[in-house]
Order: sequence, then C-alpha cells, then structure tokens
Amino acid sequence: MALPLKPYHSPLFSPKLTRRGFIKGGGVLAVSFTFPHLSAAATDAPATTLALASWLEIRHDNTVLVRTGRAEIGTGMSAFYAQVIAEELNVPPERVTLIMGDTDKTPDGGYSAGFLTGAENLRKVGAYTYQALLSLAARHLGVPVASLKVADGVVSAGDRSIRYGELVREQKLELKIPVSGQAARVDPKAWNGVNGLDGLVVLGNPPTRPVSEYKFIGRSHPMPGIPDKVTGKTQWTCDVWLPEMLHARMVRPATLGATLISVGPLDKKQFPSAQVAVKKNLVAVLSPNEWEAINAAQAVSAGTRWTEWSGLPGSENLTQALRSYKWGAPSDAKGDAAETAAALARSTRTIAATYEQPYVKHAPIGPFVAVADVKSDGSATIWAHSANSQGLRARIADILGISTEKVVVRWLDHAGQFGRTTFGGDGAEGDAAILSQLTGKPVRVQWSLQDDLAWSASSPGWVEDIRCGLDTSGNIAAIQSSFYSAQSNDARIVGAILAGVPSTSSKPDYWVATEWPYDKIPARHEEVYGMPNLGSDSSAVGLRGLIMRTPGQRQQNFALESLINEAASAAHADPVEFRLRHTSDPRLIEILHATVEAASWKPRPSPHPEAKATGTDPVIGRGVCIMVRQNAYWVGIAEVAVTPATGAVQVVKFTIGLDCGKIINPRQLERCMKSGVVMGVSEALKEEVIFDTGKITSTMWGSYNILTMAEMPEIKTVNISRDDKGFGGGSEGANAICPPAIAAAFFDATGVQPRRIPLTSTYVQRLLRTA
Amino acid sequence: MADQLKLTVNGTEQTVSVTAEMPLLYGLRNELGLSGPRYGCGLAQCGACAVLVDGSEIRSCITPVSAVVGKKVTTIEGLPALWAATKGHSETGSQTLHPVQQAWIDEQVPQCGYCQSGMMIVAAELLTKNPDPTVPEIKDAYTHKPPSAHLCRCGTYAAIISAVQRAAQVMKS
Repeated sequence: MALPLKPYHSPLFSPKLTRRGFIKGGGVLAVSFTFPHLSAAATDAPATTLALASWLEIRHDNTVLVRTGRAEIGTGMSAFYAQVIAEELNVPPERVTLIMGDTDKTPDGGYSAGFLTGAENLRKVGAYTYQALLSLAARHLGVPVASLKVADGVVSAGDRSIRYGELVREQKLELKIPVSGQAARVDPKAWNGVNGLDGLVVLGNPPTRPVSEYKFIGRSHPMPGIPDKVTGKTQWTCDVWLPEMLHARMVRPATLGATLISVGPLDKKQFPSAQVAVKKNLVAVLSPNEWEAINAAQAVSAGTRWTEWSGLPGSENLTQALRSYKWGAPSDAKGDAAETAAALARSTRTIAATYEQPYVKHAPIGPFVAVADVKSDGSATIWAHSANSQGLRARIADILGISTEKVVVRWLDHAGQFGRTTFGGDGAEGDAAILSQLTGKPVRVQWSLQDDLAWSASSPGWVEDIRCGLDTSGNIAAIQSSFYSAQSNDARIVGAILAGVPSTSSKPDYWVATEWPYDKIPARHEEVYGMPNLGSDSSAVGLRGLIMRTPGQRQQNFALESLINEAASAAHADPVEFRLRHTSDPRLIEILHATVEAASWKPRPSPHPEAKATGTDPVIGRGVCIMVRQNAYWVGIAEVAVTPATGAVQVVKFTIGLDCGKIINPRQLERCMKSGVVMGVSEALKEEVIFDTGKITSTMWGSYNILTMAEMPEIKTVNISRDDKGFGGGSEGANAICPPAIAAAFFDATGVQPRRIPLTSTYVQRLLRTA
Repeated sequence: MADQLKLTVNGTEQTVSVTAEMPLLYGLRNELGLSGPRYGCGLAQCGACAVLVDGSEIRSCITPVSAVVGKKVTTIEGLPALWAATKGHSETGSQTLHPVQQAWIDEQVPQCGYCQSGMMIVAAELLTKNPDPTVPEIKDAYTHKPPSAHLCRCGTYAAIISAVQRAAQVMKS
C-alpha cells in the first residue's frame, strides 16, 4: 500500500513510501531509489545497473544502517557521514552503522574524495527518511505532523511518544527516493576513460535540519574503525585468505615499453609448489606459500630477459624537457587575456618568475595489494582498497572482457591512497584479476615497495611562468600565468597494459585549478597546457601521471602565492598586509587576521633585515600563503631555520588557519590539518622522483624521502566555524599551503628566492652559492 | 626444507613448520594468523612490521624465524596480555587494552592506520624503558633508532606524540 507523503519541489521528485509486507519479530524501513526520468523514456535507463542494496535502513531495534559506495580514506569520512545522517534523522551517531565501498552492498557509487557531494547525498537521504518517519508517527499518534516533537529517535505528541523502531516493528516498509546519475562505466570518450565519477545523485530538496538545531554535527564523533585497528582485529586488504589461494609476486621489466624476450627458468626442485604465469608482458610467479613465491619470483626475475626502453629525459633534465616540448593550444584558461596584457603593458613595474617542481609520489606505507577470484562461470570478485569501487569494478570488467554486472568489488582498509585510486585503481587489482583468470585460482598479489615506487603512477612535474604588473601605488594591476605539465589522469591499470588487454586511456589535458582569491586585482589570465605521459606521445609508455591530494591547485597555488610574496617584497610591503590590499572577501580576511595573530606575526617586508645567504649559523625567516578551495579558506605561516653552509632547512613552526564553513567534527578536522602539514612540509623539503632515461630509480625509502617525526615542525591550528556557509572541504587541502609559505620563509631568511621545490640541502647549497 | 620451530608468541608457545630463514613477518601472518604486523617494505626501512622480541623492537620483515626461537614475541594482539602481566594480573583472557592502545583510541591516532601497529610497538617499548619521555625523546625513538625511522605517510606524528604522552600518564599511575 502507498502511504501519503508530502511532495517536495515537483511531483516527479516526490518520494514514495510503500508497505511491502510484514516481518515477524523484526521490522525495517528501507530506503531505495527510483530514477524519475525513467517514466518518460525507459531507454534512458543507466547502461550499468547498480546493486539493489538499500541506502539506509531504520530497524526495529532503533538502530540505523547506512550503505554508501564512498569509503573511508583515512580522513574521517566514516565519522562525518554518520554525523550527517544522524543529524537529519535526529538519532545519536553512535546508533548509525556504516557499510562502505562494497559494490554488491552499496547503492550509490561515487569517488570517496568527493566528501561534499557524498555528504549532500546522505543528508538528503536522511532528510527524506526523516519526513517518512514523521508521517508514520503522525498516523500512529493520530496527530498532524506539525504537532510532533523529535529527540534522539523518539517522536512525541503531548505526553505520548513512540520510538522509530516501533514505527517499523513487524513491517517491511520501503521508501523510494528520486535520484539521477549512474554507476561508473568504461567510456573511451570520457576524459579519463571512465564515466560516473559522482555515482548517484539524490534529487529534490527535502527539508533539512537548520544548522541552528544541530546536535551531532560539530561534535568530535570518533572514527568507528579505530578500536579494531589498534587491537589487530581489522581485516585489511592484505589479510584476505581464500581456500586454494595463490600468492603472487610480479616479475617486472625495468619500465613500461620493455617487452618480454624470455622468461627465466623456474627450478622446481628448489620451488616445488611454484608456477610461472605469463600473458604477453605480464609475468608472475605464484605459490600457495608466500615465502616460496617471493624467492621463486626473485630467481625467475634474475633469468628473465626484456628489451630495453628509453624515452625519458632523466629527472635532472626534466625542466629542459618540459621547456622543449612542442605544446599545443592551452587546454584550459580563465580570465581575460587581452585585458590582462593591456594592464601589464601599463604597469610601472613587472615581476616575472618561473616556478617548478619535479615528479612526486603518493607513496603510501603499504604497497598495492589485491585479491581476485575469477570463477569459471566468468564472475569475478576483487578485494581491494579503492577510493572508487564502482570505477574499479568497471575497469576490471573491461580488462576481463566480462559484463560489469559479473564483477563484485569488496572494499577493505589499506594504506592511504592520496588520490591514486580516485578513478578506480592503479595497481595490483588488475594483476590479480588477470592472474586469477589465467590460473583458475584465487590470487593474492602483493606489490613490493620497489614495484610500487617504480610502477604506480606519479604526480607529474611541472613548470609555470607567471608575471604580474605593479601600479604606481605598488599594488598588483594584473597577473598572467602559463602552467605546463603532463596529464595526471592516467587511470589505466598496469597489469592490463602489460598483458595487452583493453585499457582505456586519458586525454592529455590539464585544467586551471586555482580558485581565485584576489578579487581586487583588476585583471588576470591563467592558462594551462597539458601533454601525454612524459617520454612519449603514445599512451602506451612513458611516466604515468595521476592526481594526488589537492591536485592541480597544489601546484598552481605554489606559483601564484610565491609570486604574490615576490611582489610584496618588491613593493616593500608586509606580505600579509599586501594580500589584504588585494581581496575584499570577508572570510579570507577574517581567517588571515586570526592566523596571523596566532602566529604572533609582526608586520614588516621580506627579506628579514638580517637575512644571510652564507655562513654556518642558522638564519631564520617566516612566510605566509593562502588558498581558497571548495568553500574553504586556508592560511599557512611557516617559520624556518636555514643553515647556508650546509643547505639544511628546518621548518620550526607552522601555523595553519582554516575556515571551512560549518565544522562537522573538530577533532578529526584538527588531525587532518596537522597531518596535512606533515605531508606538505615533506613535499616542500624532501620529495622528488628520480628517474634515468628508462625508469624510476628512487624505489626505496632511502631514495624516495618523506618526512620523519623528528623533522616535523611544531604545528598550531586556527579554526573558524560558520553556521551560514554550508560545509567546506577541510580534509584535503592542508598539504598545499605548506610549500609556498616555506619558500617565502626561506627567502625571508636568506634573501634568495627559491623557485623550485624540494628544498633539499644539495639544491639549497647550489642556490645560495650561485645567488 | 621446513623446520619445526618453537616460538612464544603473545604469551603462548607455538610450533611452526617453516624454513628457518623465512622472515618472522610471514610466520606471524600466514602461520599464526596475526595481522597486526604488516608488510611495508621488506627492507627494514619503514617500521610497519615491528614487533617486540623480549621487550625490544625488531623488524619482523628481515628477522628470520630461527632468530626468535626461545624468545618472547609480542604483536599488538598481545599488548593487552603484556600489560596484564606488567600489572601482575593473569596474562590470559585480559580484556583491558594496553594503555598505549587505549591512548591511540583516545587520541584518534590512526588515519589509514597501516603503519600504526609498528608505531604502538615503539611506544610500548619506549614507555617500559623511559616512563616519562620528553617530546624530543619521543621524536628520537621514532626517528633515529636503528635500523630506520618509523614512517607515517598520513602524517599522524603529532597525534602519536600526544598518545605516547597520554599513555605515559596512565602507566605511571
């Protein structure tokens, strides 16, 4: 039977509540979805159906079960989502259980870094459900909805009350809510080869709870997975064990583009249980015993012969290679080119600089691992840690040549991905699927650290030319920038490339990622140029590029903010005061003031009056930068000590300020800010992918350096929460505001502009010597 | 060829049938089903595989099983029992978490959490040997002790320091 519900917006978007039957001793209100446009044209049905799991269940025991394809990526999503749902339903978040990421158990798909779209979806799911619960309660209590009061899952009218659980007891109720969108599917025409990044999007505008009534958002709800992680109870991706499962280790050439000449011999006396599997250039050694697989793979690898490929410029020649590349037209631009050129021509002084950064890596502590079980009936299950399980599902189906419906991706915890699985997967998942198909057994593929640092995609190096013109008052009249980099959307799965099975490619485009913070600068023009993977115009080889935490904006903001700091110095202005001159955004101004105060910033121009580029005594300096991203305003203030003689740079203190609208979870936000600073300092001081003309050579922690605990600065956080600005992106951006502030502090200390990161001792010594 | 090796793991004597030179990591994970220690690098460069052997941290990814025969191995699964023993209670069946584990929960240390097993092992050893470490001493223990620094890519170092200090307070009282 259909139960009456108030439509929101349009009858097309109205939810439908139906009683489907009775459940003795149980009871549930399950929320599923409907595609409203389907009634108009059934042919619009999504090409790939999603699993018909419910989105949310209100259960007879007063608990709430939520299913979402978005996963916990280490930044606290599993806490935030529970809070968002709890707030709309008016139940404590402790009663909410989340199932995340499994494609056969979650309905919505979507990429996990997209918290804002994920939260908006769940907020509406919760809001629709809340209205349905109110309708049920009003009928039960025999009063109009308007006279109901709700607290912690108890609906009351006068002195009578009923719990949510009682509203669904003994019944099976179904609420269908309107959605659009589709599950991820492979599409060669898409910019990165796969569609459906956002998954399903909930339609309509159900009434959501006013921020002034929030009880659970704004509290430091803990991340639910932590107790199991610290006691050893979590089943990680690397802990999947299946009957008859084989452990695989990959036998790789030096680099993509090398082809197999002959596979090395496998000594069956020494490795009696091991076997070799080969598909074109994909070579692996497998064994039921992991240690045997490791040793046998080493032995086979030693005897395996490959052709050599060399097309890379060598990391020391990266800038020169980017400079000499025949760039086509810009792939994206913002601002007015003619107006900016005219304003620059009118300027009394022009400041031009080139900034650059080498390739860097996501570099999680746990290398890629995956388990695949491809059955003889053609169905496949993959256990993996993807930030986009539906995307991975589509790609695996493509690789195996089976329909997407036959693939299940089960999501499990693993080491942080920092963007490298946003489009599905990048690593061991494809190897595992192909090897399982070849051997007919479940296969667990564990990449070694060397495999991971050499074969996973990197965040591409870049060069940006940027200049500004100052007017007679020393204010910026115009900014023009040109950014050059290799594309960072190569979501092809390595195993598929090597095995020569289908694998989509991505377009060589880049994008303007800056969210422009300086509305009082009269003219600006930003353009970006993209190219295919470094080392090749073919998508088959070269250094693969993938987005990494705060992609695009991390790089472009380094150039923009460094130029602003150089311009402030040229104008003999304090860099904070100089920024305030160029923006009228009240949120930016307020967080800038608050952060400056927390850092005890004393206004003066840079460099420091006692700046020195020589000597064995440390010189100190401070620097500032800002960034606006996804409804969030960031400020970074770095204090550094530089020892000119040794080139040592230490970030002594970092003050980070953030206004990301309404703060959902203060403690999780604070830890994301602090940990983001660690990653940002690491990138500013240490990180660089080293490669020769054929391959990446920085394949161990001794050669790809990341920040250690002793190198961490003292970190101070400053926050502003706003009730009237919605949610903003608070978990990702912290890393991006470190390099520009640290570079500015380095200039303040030494009087020498560093226009390249990382500030390694070798680079710093060379820079100061030639200054 | 497989050898029969006797180990004491988390307070229980175990016999594993493995080649003697196999690293302890694979024995703990694949033979004894302990998933606390994890593979990070296999080269003793990151610390994700760290366990205690007779109270001192070792890297199980490069330590042969044969090297720990007759010694006491503790993984994070065994930290509650280790704490119970320290307090003079029965080792088996303890439900009380080691103060280090409780501090890791209270301070919400793990982000992805992959490295945190090794991080807690360091804390457990440090607080046994230095009950009231200063911040520089904590940083030193995680950074400069051979064979390598303990690495966290999520960047949880500040939370780790807070958790070690919190656990220290509990263990002193």
